[in-house]
Amino acid sequence: MWKEIKEREFGNVRPNLFSSRISKSRVSSIQLSNYKEILSSHRGSVNSLQVDLTESRYLLAGASDASVAVYDIQRATDHDERNLIAKHKPLFVLNKQHEHGHKYAISSAIWYPIDTGLFVTGSYDHHINVWDTNTTQVVMNFKMPGKVYRTAMSSIARSHMLVAAGTEDVQVRLCDIASGAFAHTLSGHRDGVMSLEWSTSSEWVLITGGCDGAIRFWDIRRAGCFRVLDQSCSQFGRRQPLLLRPTTNKVTNFKSSPASQSSSAKVRAHHRKSANGSALKPHTVGRISSLVKTAKQRSHPGMLSSHDRATAHYGVVTGLKVTGDGMYLLSAGSDSRLRLWDIESGCNTLVNFETTRLQSSKAIQMAVTQDSTLAFVPCMAITKVFDIWSGQTKSTFRGHYENVNCCCYNALDQELYTGGNDRQILVWSPPKFVSDETGEGKNGKAAATDDQDNWSD
Amino acid sequence: MNKKITELEPSTSRKRRRDEESEAELDNDDDDSQSLSLEENFTFSDTLMALRMMRSQFPRTEKVTVQPFVLRSQLYSSLKDRTQVDMELESLRRDRVLRIFKLNTGQDDHAVMFMDDYINQIERVVKRMEDKKQDDIRVFEWFKIHVIQSKLDTSIGHQELFSLLSWGGKVREEHISQLINAGLLIRQLIDQNMYWFSIPNIGSVLKGLSQGRKEVLSFLNRRKYKEMMLVSLEKKRLRLSPLDMRFHLRDLIGSGHLKTIQTPSGLIVKIAKD
Repeated sequence: MWKEIKEREFGNVRPNLFSSRISKSRVSSIQLSNYKEILSSHRGSVNSLQVDLTESRYLLAGASDASVAVYDIQRATDHDERNLIAKHKPLFVLNKQHEHGHKYAISSAIWYPIDTGLFVTGSYDHHINVWDTNTTQVVMNFKMPGKVYRTAMSSIARSHMLVAAGTEDVQVRLCDIASGAFAHTLSGHRDGVMSLEWSTSSEWVLITGGCDGAIRFWDIRRAGCFRVLDQSCSQFGRRQPLLLRPTTNKVTNFKSSPASQSSSAKVRAHHRKSANGSALKPHTVGRISSLVKTAKQRSHPGMLSSHDRATAHYGVVTGLKVTGDGMYLLSAGSDSRLRLWDIESGCNTLVNFETTRLQSSKAIQMAVTQDSTLAFVPCMAITKVFDIWSGQTKSTFRGHYENVNCCCYNALDQELYTGGNDRQILVWSPPKFVSDETGEGKNGKAAATDDQDNWSD
Repeated sequence: MNKKITELEPSTSRKRRRDEESEAELDNDDDDSQSLSLEENFTFSDTLMALRMMRSQFPRTEKVTVQPFVLRSQLYSSLKDRTQVDMELESLRRDRVLRIFKLNTGQDDHAVMFMDDYINQIERVVKRMEDKKQDDIRVFEWFKIHVIQSKLDTSIGHQELFSLLSWGGKVREEHISQLINAGLLIRQLIDQNMYWFSIPNIGSVLKGLSQGRKEVLSFLNRRKYKEMMLVSLEKKRLRLSPLDMRFHLRDLIGSGHLKTIQTPSGLIVKIAKD
């Protein structure tokens, strides 16, 4: 450690290389924390965890007993006697007794991305509530047609404040908290939507995973989705080679179409052509008119995607996670498969993550480290750490007594928080040596304890 | 049968070392390969070699009415890097050397079959239909020539099937029913207009597969410590499955139900707890 600091001082190592080396070595030594503990006050399984995006200081947890709690993870509320373990109690808990609180399980609780003054919760009682953190009152309420499975807000949004909601209804709804009304709905899925995420590279792109196994990319400025991920469309390696086309089967579809063909096959061919053409992120509205010209169809080009039945998984898509650089998407399905997709080309990168079983009835929340090398995935009662590029299991974290539902990675401190059906929130962090703590403890008296024997007389 | 011959080496030796790198020809060695134990050639270095080896070890008895196929989980257990296996399978599939079929015996089960074996299987079915003097088997020729060669995925949509078959001639609904009756296509449960490609006459083998899996797992579960030495486990015969124990062990280890532990006296197979 000191050697590396000296290297940085002399200019041999760049500052960001220095910091990434330190965080990488810390991440690789993560284990069940021996100095920090969160005292969960939930009486139901913890369904959703999120650390706030501005200071990485407050952890928001939503549970199945309709309770929401916020924990301060940097400052402990109390310590145990020998100053060894810091205990973090919730700053406040909102449960069913609250006058506008939720009545049934909370499936998703997220912070307002700009500051911690607001947070949004979605619940199985068909409501989405927007809460003011300081007064703990509900400021806005949206009623959905079905159980809310997931809510998401874009962390890079500068011109909109939309909450995207995935419910058991087939349409994805966008709720605007600036006006209190619904902005619009996105249709195309054939069953409920269990997972959704905003893209980390564009504030207009939303990615949804449905109970029908399809993953769709939506640009919210126009109708219909612009891409449906197909698991049979695959590429070798991280990026698409510049010259070769990704799928040979799609090319042969064009060639082998005889003269007398039905209209829906033509629809599919044109849709594929336009989808390949618009592989770059759609920036201007002018693109819509060019698509209309090439499609030559009676139906709206935005609705072409409803004919596309490609599936990304053989079951329900239970979890989605976009990497921080916005280039790759990790998706988990109830067929117990994890797939890594290249967002730019829409192809499956064929990385094989060894998972025996993933829970299939509930959504899971995965986490990825900031430099996109490790992925934390809850698999039944353990959390596995995968190397994203080779698919190997780097380590497994065993600690929960029952299934793990969600995990959240705090990049500032290199800590991982996991919540499970056993109502606990566990903290996993790089180890801190106990002797450091006792040294700083109660006014120098503790320094003597290092030398003392441990005999029991 | 066309095999890529990179290095000819007659496999007269009965024992194979685990880290042997060269590819070997296995034409006349069915007897030898049956007697090679699982422990000795547990891992391979190359997907194609593993596929050929496992294909030659496929049991050929009267009860097994289907051409040799390999399960994807068996490949995962025999090769170290699963991503490599996936990529090589994908490139072999695109080169039309083999085909992949989705099986209905549980989540994410896939069977890998060489293209020649698949064509043989179709021809067997066609010959049986000819013997029964059923008319109009032209649809099978159209299927072989137009559909299989161009559609390399595991499933196909109704419209696309129609348009590909029309290359051969005028297609009617009865033709598609014939294909389904022969076992070449199966309707998907979730979607009326999509079909899975399937291997004809595979029904009894699949039943044996799922029953054999249950039998192996229940046998190990009944033991005191839920484990057994691989060498002695391999010698057991299965009551309910026509496929041999080696087939089932590779499949269960690859799908994660069993795990192997190296001990000084050999490999031990244990039920995986996770």
